[in-house]
Amino acid sequence: MIMIVLQAVITLLLWQTASNGLIPPPGKVANAFLHLLSTRLLIDNLLVSLLLTIKAMLFSILITLLISYLSVIPFFKAMAQFIVKCRYLTLTGLIFIFTLLTKDGSQLKLSLLMFGIVPFFTCSFLAVILNIDKQEFELCKTLGYNNWQTLYEVIIVGKADQAFEILRQNFAISWLMITMVEGLNMSEGGIGALMIKYNKYNDLTNVLALQMVIFLVGLLFDYLLGSIRLWLFPHTKLQTQVS
Amino acid sequence: MSAYIKKQVLLKAEHIQLNYGDNIILRDIDFEIKDIVRPGMQQGQVVSLIGRSGMGKTQLFKLLSGLQMPSSGRICTQDNQPVKAGDMGVIFQNYYLFEWRTVYHSLFLAARQNPKLKGKEKENVDAFAERFQLTEQVNQYPQQLSGGQRQRASIIQQLLKGSNFLLLDEPFSGLDVCVLDKVVELLLEVSVSDEFKTLIIVSHDIPACVAISDTVFILGKEPGKPGATIVKEIDLIERGLAWQKNVRHLKAFADTVEEIKACL
Repeated sequence: MIMIVLQAVITLLLWQTASNGLIPPPGKVANAFLHLLSTRLLIDNLLVSLLLTIKAMLFSILITLLISYLSVIPFFKAMAQFIVKCRYLTLTGLIFIFTLLTKDGSQLKLSLLMFGIVPFFTCSFLAVILNIDKQEFELCKTLGYNNWQTLYEVIIVGKADQAFEILRQNFAISWLMITMVEGLNMSEGGIGALMIKYNKYNDLTNVLALQMVIFLVGLLFDYLLGSIRLWLFPHTKLQTQVS
Repeated sequence: MSAYIKKQVLLKAEHIQLNYGDNIILRDIDFEIKDIVRPGMQQGQVVSLIGRSGMGKTQLFKLLSGLQMPSSGRICTQDNQPVKAGDMGVIFQNYYLFEWRTVYHSLFLAARQNPKLKGKEKENVDAFAERFQLTEQVNQYPQQLSGGQRQRASIIQQLLKGSNFLLLDEPFSGLDVCVLDKVVELLLEVSVSDEFKTLIIVSHDIPACVAISDTVFILGKEPGKPGATIVKEIDLIERGLAWQKNVRHLKAFADTVEEIKACL
């Protein structure tokens, strides 16, 4: 703990000395951060972004789970692998196609986010499925389970904690993408749109203050999702202790 | 030696062969396990398959459990039906349990697989947990159990599932002397719980197998022939070594152990 505090103090000192008028000093950013927190503008935009992220994550995890569960059937395996490869596609190049396919800005942002998130989710969850211990399937067989019971026990129930962990780890990706997507389509606002506005007027103090908000909200969600996972799946705590 | 008769065949392996490509792992495996009847008591069967490491014991274990199919030949139960996965209770060497379920949940799910226990799953789980001294651990996760508790949970799980056959892969491996005695005691208790209860132990621990079994099959190689086969069957009842508490002190026990060693 002392080490962390010491490192934070050194970083702030370095920042303070390095800020030569071009980069705003930490005190100024802190003031802007506190001012932002007290404004309706931040809360409204933050809520818009959070709701969109949560909505996109929920839809994405549902699509991911469906694709991943189906990937155990040879017919769908190639499809799942193709979706994984879609990680290398950029959203910027597809915005026009998505605009044509969707009705309004809200749908556009949601579909862009989902398109960005699903390949990462699928990639992580397929790795979980591929690494399942063969004995888990064998135990099901010895207990007389049919294929559906085995799928339910080993992959759906047995890997639910890992699906949740993927959700937690990939929240960072979603949170990173939200600012980009909101920058691509600024209707309805959001912190991405707010960031673009501050950038446009070279208001670096507020840009950094907003970055702090984004960073802290990210950390808060990471902590919350981690705590919920431990509460929902207590055995994961034991595994962590053993390892 | 107490009176007994061997009645109907409970399990029969006929001309079993297992190949991996051109490599013959097991060949000409033929053996029968018969119901042993002792007047005035319930007596199950305890059979050991002994072999050196790398002799194909695990493969034979998987064939017997129905988890793998032989290249040729067949393994049939009493009703002349080929063995399939789920017919046998299987206790893996590492006593594998669902790590995400509490012991109670695992046992309850196993009981639900048994049609005879329909509607009485909870009572049976509680009764078995008490009988095997696991009541205090039922709400724990497998990671919280000791090796012995895991083994008991694993055995109860398969017993609740309701199969008369219990296949055990190296149940004595890595146990200290005190725990070993408890495991032997536990397995003997299981074996007398039902007339048709049949324990098949696959192991390389010769003394432990001889001490607990009524029949021993030795898995070995014959000179000049590829693959492992049953090279000898020893009827421990005939030798007066079965169902004896202090069997390890008998000269016949030491002689039998030496005889088996010589076959491996």
